[in-house]
Amino acid sequence: MATEADHGAGGHSPLAQFEIKRLVDINVGGVDASITNSTVWMLIAIAAITLFMVIGMRRGALVPGRWQSMAEMSYEFVAGMLRDNVGTAGRRYFPFIFTLFMFVLFCNLLGMIPYSFTVTSHIIVTFALAAVVFIGVTIIGFARHGAHFLKLFVPSGVPIFLLPLLIVIELISYLIRPVSLSVRLFANMLAGHTMLKVFGGFVVALGIIGGWAPLAFVVALTGLEILIAFLQAYVFAVLTCIYLNDAINLHH
Amino acid sequence: MTGVRGPSPLDDLNRRLAAIRERRRDDASETGPDDTAKSAMGYALRIGVELVAGLVVGGGMGWLLDMWLGTSPFLLILFFFLGAAAGMLNVWRATRTMNLPDAPGD
Repeated sequence: MATEADHGAGGHSPLAQFEIKRLVDINVGGVDASITNSTVWMLIAIAAITLFMVIGMRRGALVPGRWQSMAEMSYEFVAGMLRDNVGTAGRRYFPFIFTLFMFVLFCNLLGMIPYSFTVTSHIIVTFALAAVVFIGVTIIGFARHGAHFLKLFVPSGVPIFLLPLLIVIELISYLIRPVSLSVRLFANMLAGHTMLKVFGGFVVALGIIGGWAPLAFVVALTGLEILIAFLQAYVFAVLTCIYLNDAINLHH
Repeated sequence: MTGVRGPSPLDDLNRRLAAIRERRRDDASETGPDDTAKSAMGYALRIGVELVAGLVVGGGMGWLLDMWLGTSPFLLILFFFLGAAAGMLNVWRATRTMNLPDAPGD
């Protein structure tokens, strides 16, 4: 993301943290498949999730310990979300929603570690996730209801002369979904991490005399950012559930 | 803490299990989206982006159609407003459940 001029500043630009660095060059048939720092942090997130779940459930005790309790809580949380928003018909999509939620959550939280890289601060990552949700939900809708799925775009009880206008609006409102889903997560992560870096820069600039005020602010902001990390993962998963509900139960 | 015999722990457990089973069978339409402050802030984060995305998608569609049909700039203007309307529609859909009579208070 950073321009060439920022390199001279020695990484002090607040946007330098979002820079993609190529670690291992891989070129598969003209497609650039290099391993970047983004790839590495995605793999770390997946490894952390796997460790979290496997170690948490290793004992499988009736009275759960701390780790097992956390693993069970995350399961219960997503299962409850799916039940509240989609109902029993959504149970079969639990693995996907759970994976999505845990991946976004761990990417957000790992991004909070100093010197780490926030995968979800790149719109291409969040848009890819949102596109998978959007295309998947549309396919599920057509597979379950066939052409009836198009009824989603036809509001009921509308005078016939308004129908063409409203169908176009409904269609746009459906196409907005992947954009708003991805932009929300990306923008929150980008803004939050940039703000942390900017206030961190103030601490250095004001030195030992005046630096305490921004330092206190950075501490507060870090707490807020951890909350945002949880909330954005929650919002991403809950919206996926809502879209799934539209496709399965055919009502907004 | 008097000598009166309260409900036995097993009765209580039975009742809780029954309640949980009941909840498991519930459908989406009966239980609303979940409550708590967490989801209130979730709403706040959702609806702002919804409006902007409406404008961007509407404007983008209009612009692409203009490029394709050579009608610049009329479709851009038209779809900009349609996108705004669609954004409003999404916001209304997201917040509609907050005003339902059985919604959790405040």
